[in-house]
Amino acid sequence: MLKYLINRLFWMVPLLVGISLISFLIMHLAPGDITATEASFNPKTSEESRQKLRELYNLDKPVIVQYGLWLKRMSTLDFGHSFASHQSPVFWQETDKEGNVTKGMIQEALPITLLINVLSLILIIGLALPLGVISALTQNKLPDRSITIFVFIGFAIPSFWLALMLMYWTGVSHNWLPISGLHTLGAEKLSAFAQLLDTLKHLTLPILISGLTGLAGISLFVRNGMLDVLHQDYITTARAKGLPENTVVYKHALRNALLPLITIFGLSIPGLIGGSVIAESIFAIPGMGKLFYDAVLMRDFPVIMGILTIGSALTLIGNLLADLAYAWADPRVRKGVSQ
Amino acid sequence: MVNQPKSMMKKLNRLISISITILLISCGQQKKDPSANVNQPYPSQSGGALVDAMSGEPSGLIAMMAGESSASAIASNIFNSLLKYDKNLELTGELAQSWDVSSDQKTITFHLKPNLKWADGHALTSDDVLFTWKTVTDDKTRSPYGADYKLVKKAEAPNSSTFKVTYEAPYAPALDSWSGLHILPKHLLQDQDINNTSFSRNPVGSHYYQLDQWKKGESITLKRNPNGTQGQAKIDRLISRIIPDRAAQFLELMADNIDSMSLNSIQYARIFPARPDLTAKIAQYKELGNSYTYLGFNLKRKPFDDVRVRQAINYAIDKQEIIDGVLLGLGLPVASPYKPGTRWSNPKLQPYPYDPQKAIALLKEAGFEDHDHDGILDKDGKPLSFEILTNQNKEREMSAVLVQRRLKEIGIDVKIRVVEWATFISRFIKTGDFNVVLLGWGLGLEPDQFNIWHSSQQAPGQFNFIGYHNTHVDQLLEAGRLELNPDKRMKIYHEFAEVLLADSPVVYLFAGYGLPAINKRVNGIDDPAPPAGIGHNSYEWYIPAPLRRNEMSAE
Repeated sequence: MLKYLINRLFWMVPLLVGISLISFLIMHLAPGDITATEASFNPKTSEESRQKLRELYNLDKPVIVQYGLWLKRMSTLDFGHSFASHQSPVFWQETDKEGNVTKGMIQEALPITLLINVLSLILIIGLALPLGVISALTQNKLPDRSITIFVFIGFAIPSFWLALMLMYWTGVSHNWLPISGLHTLGAEKLSAFAQLLDTLKHLTLPILISGLTGLAGISLFVRNGMLDVLHQDYITTARAKGLPENTVVYKHALRNALLPLITIFGLSIPGLIGGSVIAESIFAIPGMGKLFYDAVLMRDFPVIMGILTIGSALTLIGNLLADLAYAWADPRVRKGVSQ
Repeated sequence: MVNQPKSMMKKLNRLISISITILLISCGQQKKDPSANVNQPYPSQSGGALVDAMSGEPSGLIAMMAGESSASAIASNIFNSLLKYDKNLELTGELAQSWDVSSDQKTITFHLKPNLKWADGHALTSDDVLFTWKTVTDDKTRSPYGADYKLVKKAEAPNSSTFKVTYEAPYAPALDSWSGLHILPKHLLQDQDINNTSFSRNPVGSHYYQLDQWKKGESITLKRNPNGTQGQAKIDRLISRIIPDRAAQFLELMADNIDSMSLNSIQYARIFPARPDLTAKIAQYKELGNSYTYLGFNLKRKPFDDVRVRQAINYAIDKQEIIDGVLLGLGLPVASPYKPGTRWSNPKLQPYPYDPQKAIALLKEAGFEDHDHDGILDKDGKPLSFEILTNQNKEREMSAVLVQRRLKEIGIDVKIRVVEWATFISRFIKTGDFNVVLLGWGLGLEPDQFNIWHSSQQAPGQFNFIGYHNTHVDQLLEAGRLELNPDKRMKIYHEFAEVLLADSPVVYLFAGYGLPAINKRVNGIDDPAPPAGIGHNSYEWYIPAPLRRNEMSAE
C-alpha cells in the first residue's frame, strides 16, 4: 500500500510539469499579452513604453524560455507577481522591509470560494441523499417523478436569471436578505456573532443557487446506485432472511450504493477552488472565478498559471484520494477479488 | 475549470438585461415611501456618506502605474495635479496658482499655491513635483504613460514653490499632460520601488479625501482630508462598492443600498420612466461622455483609398438611426473628434446627412455599379464587399448591424466580425490586417491628436493604424503642437477638423451620453450638466442630515 502511494506521488511530478507546459503553451497561443490589454488604446501611451514593459516581463523572449523561467521560479514554490494588479504576489502574502504586508491574490480569493463551495456541497449532499433514496424506493411513482422533475428544473434553470429574480424578491421587494457583496457597510462595528450572521445572510443566496444547480447530478447518482444495488441478489437474500425493510435499505443497500460517490467527491476537490464567474459577478463576491476570468482577459500570465497549477495539483490529489478511499471502502478493490 | 468563453458571458449579459427589464417594468410599485421628503430644499451642510458602485476594482491607487479607469476614478479624489480642467473644460490651476510660458514657448514655470500640505501634515513643495516627474520618466518605472514627460529636457525646482520645465521645442500638449499627472509625496516614496510599493494600497495624497479603508474585492472608503489643498468637501465619506454586474448594481440602487451608479440607456430611457417610485427618489442626469464611436477604413487598401467611396459610405449611413436604435436617443452625432460645446469643436461643421442617392452617385463616379445585376455593386468584376471588425461591445455590435443594413440598401455587401479585445489588438490592429473597424476614440480635452492622425504614426503599435496620410493635416497637427496660445490653436484645430471631415477617413457615428443616477438625498448637483459633467463640483455636493442613511441600517 505504501509503495503504491509513493509510486503514485512520484508520477505526479512529471504529470504536473506536463500539464503546466501544455497550459503555458495554450495560454501563449492566445493573441496578445498584458501590453495589449492595459492602456493599449490610450494615445497618451507609446509603443516604446509598451516594448519596455514587454522586456521587463520577459514577454519578448521565446515562449519556451519564458516557460523555463517560470518553471525555475516554481521549483522554489515562487508563484511570482501579477502583471495587471500592481505586482501583487500571486499566491501568498509578502512583507516588505517596512513591515507592510501585501496579501496574495489567491490567498484572498480562495477562502471565500472554498467557504461557499464547501457549504453548498454540504447542502447538496444533505438534500441529494434523501432525495435519491426516496426516488429509488418509489421508482417511477409520483414521488420519484416529482423529485426528478424538480432536480432537473434546478439543473436547467439559468442560474443568473434565478439569482436575479431571488435578489429582486428577497432584497428589493422585501428587505429579507442583502442583495450583493459579503458584508454590510460598517459591519466591522458589530459584535462577532452579528458579523457572522451578517456574512451568512450575504452567503445564503449564492449557496442556495449553486446548491440547486448541483442537486441533479448527485441525487440521480444516488438514485441509480440505489436501484442497481436493490436489484442485487444479496438484497433479496437479506429480505428473505426477514430483515426489516429499513435495515435492508439503509444498512445493506445504501452503503454500497454510496461507493461511486467517492469518485465524484474526489473529482469535485479541484472544483472546490474554482468559482463561477457568473455567480461571483452577480453577487459581487471576490472569489476565484472572477480572479481567473479577469486574469485571462488581461493576459495576466502569472495569475493564470498560478491558478491552473494549483487546480491541476488538486485534481491529481483528488484522484489519488478517491482511489485510496475507494480501496479503503470496498474490499473488492483492495483485495482484487473478481466478481 | 472556471473559464467561461466571453461570448457566452455576453449572451448571458444580454439575457440578463432583457429579463430584468421585463421584470422591472412589469413589477408594480410596492416600495415603501421615503420617510423624509427629498424634494424640499435643505441648506447646504457638511457630513454624511455617499455610496456608489463601480464595476472593477483598482489594482492600486497610483494612477500612472494602474491602467484601469477605476484606479483613476478613486485616485483623483486623493491626489492633485498641477493643473485641472474647470467646468467648461478650460485649463486652470490646481496645485499651481499660476503658470507662465516663456517667450520662446519652450519653458513653462509653475508657481505653486502657498502652504500646501500632504494629508499627513508634511509640506507639499516643488520638490515633490520634481520627484514625480523623475519617477514617471524613470526607465525602471513600469508605466505606459511616460512619453509626454520624457520630452522635458530639463526639470528644476529653483525654490520650494516654483517648478520649471524646459522642452526641446515648444510643445503645446504639455499643459494638458501636467493636468494628468498626480503629484506623489517624495518623503514617503523616495526609498521605495514604485513598481510594488505598498503605498499604492495605502496612499497619502493632498486632495479632498484620503483613504480610510480598503476591503479587498468589496469596497473602498475615503474620508475627508483635513489638510486638503483645495479646501474642504461637504460630504464626509465616499464609499465605493465593487459590484461587477450592472443588473446587481441597479437592484442595489433600487433597494437604496447605493446612492449612485451610471445607468445604461435601457435603464435610463425604459425602466425609469415606467417606475414613478424610482423617479421619486432617484434623480437621473445626462452628461456628454468622453468618447465617440466611429467606422474607420483601412486607407492602404482598395477601395478605401478613394475618397469618393469613403464619402459615399458616410452618406449612406443614417447616424440618427444608430443613435435612436442603439442608444435609445441618448447620444449626439459629431462632426469632429472634439466634444461639442467646447472651444476645440468647430461649430460650423455638420455631420454628413443621410443621403443614399448621393452615395450611389458617388460610387458610380468611382466606378462601382451593379453590372452583373446580383444586387451588389461591382467594379472590374469584383463585388464591393468587406468585413466590419469590432470588439465585444454591445453598442458597437448593434451599430455594426445597422451600418450593414444601410450599406446593403445601396448595394454594398458587409459582413460583421466580433473578436475579443486582446486578440483584436494583436491580431488585427497591430498587423493592419483589416478592412473596416468599428471602434471608439476619446473626445480629447487636449486638442492635439497627432498620435492618431499624423502620417508618421503608422508603425505597428502606433495609433494611426488606419494609415491616414494628408499633408495638409500633417502640417496643421505639427503647427498645433507648437502653438501655446489658445485662440491661435483653436483656429488651427478648427481647420484640421474641417479637412478631416471632408476627407472622411472615418465615419463619425455618435458620441454617447454618460447617464449617472444619483439618489435625491444628494443635493447641490448641477443640472443640466456643464461640459465637464456633473462631477466637476462634487466637493460642493451635500447630504442634508434628515436624509442621511442610518449607518447600520444601510442594509
